[in-house]
Amino acid sequence: MKLEISANEYVNGIKDGTFTAEEFTARTMEQISKLEPKLHAFISVNNDAVEQARMIDKKIRENEKVGVFYGMPISVKDNICVKGSRTTCGSKMLQDFVSPYDATVSSILKSEDATIVGKTNLDEFAMGVATEFSAFGPTKNPWNTDCVPGGSSGGSAVSIRALESLLSLGSDTGGSVRNPASFCSVVGLKPTYGLISRYGLVSYANSIEQIGPMGRSVEDVAFLLNHIAGKDQNDNTTIDNGHQNYLSDLDAGIQGKRVGIIKEMCKSEGLDKNVESAFRRSVSSFEKLGANVGEVSLDLVDYTIAAYYILTASEAGSNLARYDNLRYGFDFPQEGYEFKSYISKARKQFGPEVTRRMILGGFVPSAGFAGKYLLKALQVKSKLQKEIGEAFKKFDFLISPTVPILPFRFGEKTNDPLAMYLADINTATANLTGVPAISVPFEISNGLPIGIQIHANRLEEKQILQAAYALEKTTNLPEVQL
Amino acid sequence: MVTKEDIEHIAKLMRIDIDNTEQYLEQTQRILNYFDMLDKADTSSEEIPVHEMKISELREDKYERFETKLIDHLKNYKGKYVKAPKMN
Repeated sequence: MKLEISANEYVNGIKDGTFTAEEFTARTMEQISKLEPKLHAFISVNNDAVEQARMIDKKIRENEKVGVFYGMPISVKDNICVKGSRTTCGSKMLQDFVSPYDATVSSILKSEDATIVGKTNLDEFAMGVATEFSAFGPTKNPWNTDCVPGGSSGGSAVSIRALESLLSLGSDTGGSVRNPASFCSVVGLKPTYGLISRYGLVSYANSIEQIGPMGRSVEDVAFLLNHIAGKDQNDNTTIDNGHQNYLSDLDAGIQGKRVGIIKEMCKSEGLDKNVESAFRRSVSSFEKLGANVGEVSLDLVDYTIAAYYILTASEAGSNLARYDNLRYGFDFPQEGYEFKSYISKARKQFGPEVTRRMILGGFVPSAGFAGKYLLKALQVKSKLQKEIGEAFKKFDFLISPTVPILPFRFGEKTNDPLAMYLADINTATANLTGVPAISVPFEISNGLPIGIQIHANRLEEKQILQAAYALEKTTNLPEVQL
Repeated sequence: MVTKEDIEHIAKLMRIDIDNTEQYLEQTQRILNYFDMLDKADTSSEEIPVHEMKISELREDKYERFETKLIDHLKNYKGKYVKAPKMN
């Protein structure tokens, strides 16, 4: 029994009795036990997974109604609530927090008979691009364990690449699904803002963040999206997508489609030469697929990192205020403190990046500075939305390298927050504008993966997946040595 | 220009104790210097977007019983009270 199969092959394998959910889950758990000491993709592992898969087998044997996942092993980023399991957000502040309820996406996975194998590692409160800022230690890139896996959903990307789960759910505020997808050679989609319910996703920057499906292939991502997208009464920002089927016509191709290269994302001085040449080859691939490729300018892209970090720091500053160690927190004796100093002392458990964001988040919206920073960032966001709207009048898709650089070594950017922030330069635009964007594995350069990013207009997930599928079919990537 | 006093004041407002004020000062200053590029962004004609939602679009305001007693999750809950350090 191979673990490296698609979601569709898994479902067929179960249906025709080639293997059982219990067998597949047990093999997956063995893989986790074997690789976790090396990769550390998980913060916690579900010890009841095999038993849960066995119950699903029982339902299948007894011809009861079975959910669409048929016991498929799926991992969930540890900032998404799964009832009864710890949800740490990669933070010491929440190291003992057990979710009292399921996120909407988790309750869908459970009711549709997925087996949640564990909660994946992330940068503390999803703030980072390398999964280096987890309070529980970093996740390693399976392509080269000296390198970061990207972030903040690094654990999710690694878990699927290393066959420790078949699919995964991440979250993307400025690139946190697409960046690790690119760095680990998996597919990651940041959907249209509102397509997937955020109920039960621990808040970081509510106005732009989204949960995103991740998988080893575009088809797998489309499969997962089919079941988690749509209206949810517990999240007022969700959109009714009319139960769109993202799997049908996935192979429609992109003949005659108009593809725009976002100039600002392909010329930055920080663009790695290998990434640049891989991107050029992807442009040829789009042309060979029959697309009409042109160039487009989004002037405001140069300002996206500044705008993005201002907005997210402001929202994070207010969202993180709830961690006062009275409701959430860790064991820290109260004796000898007065109220305010106790909370401040307890909040010292936040790591350096979260602390930095809180300082920024206190500063940029404050009286006297809001006009220069926060309000200006909101204006940039608003104008960028119009700019990208104009671009989509001329093009069906907008493309760029997902990340301008290759996976870097651990510690290389930890002391230079600004250099780290700049890794988001190509991904933040989709979050600020609310449009969907996907990262597709395209090349392995000197043993390190490079992904290509495709944007489409709001709610054009079906089209974006068709384009991603077409591009994916032009590649023939080596397998990672685990 | 941010000062050491600014950082200390913000840390107090955000309720975080920081030891290495100098380091945060230096990093914050560098990041803010970068943010200053926004001065050059031409957004003068741009309004600050507001998101409106009609009351009719909100879900029904209906009491639904939550099965777990969330208050039991408080770490220092003593039956009727939450134990917290003295306020002054």
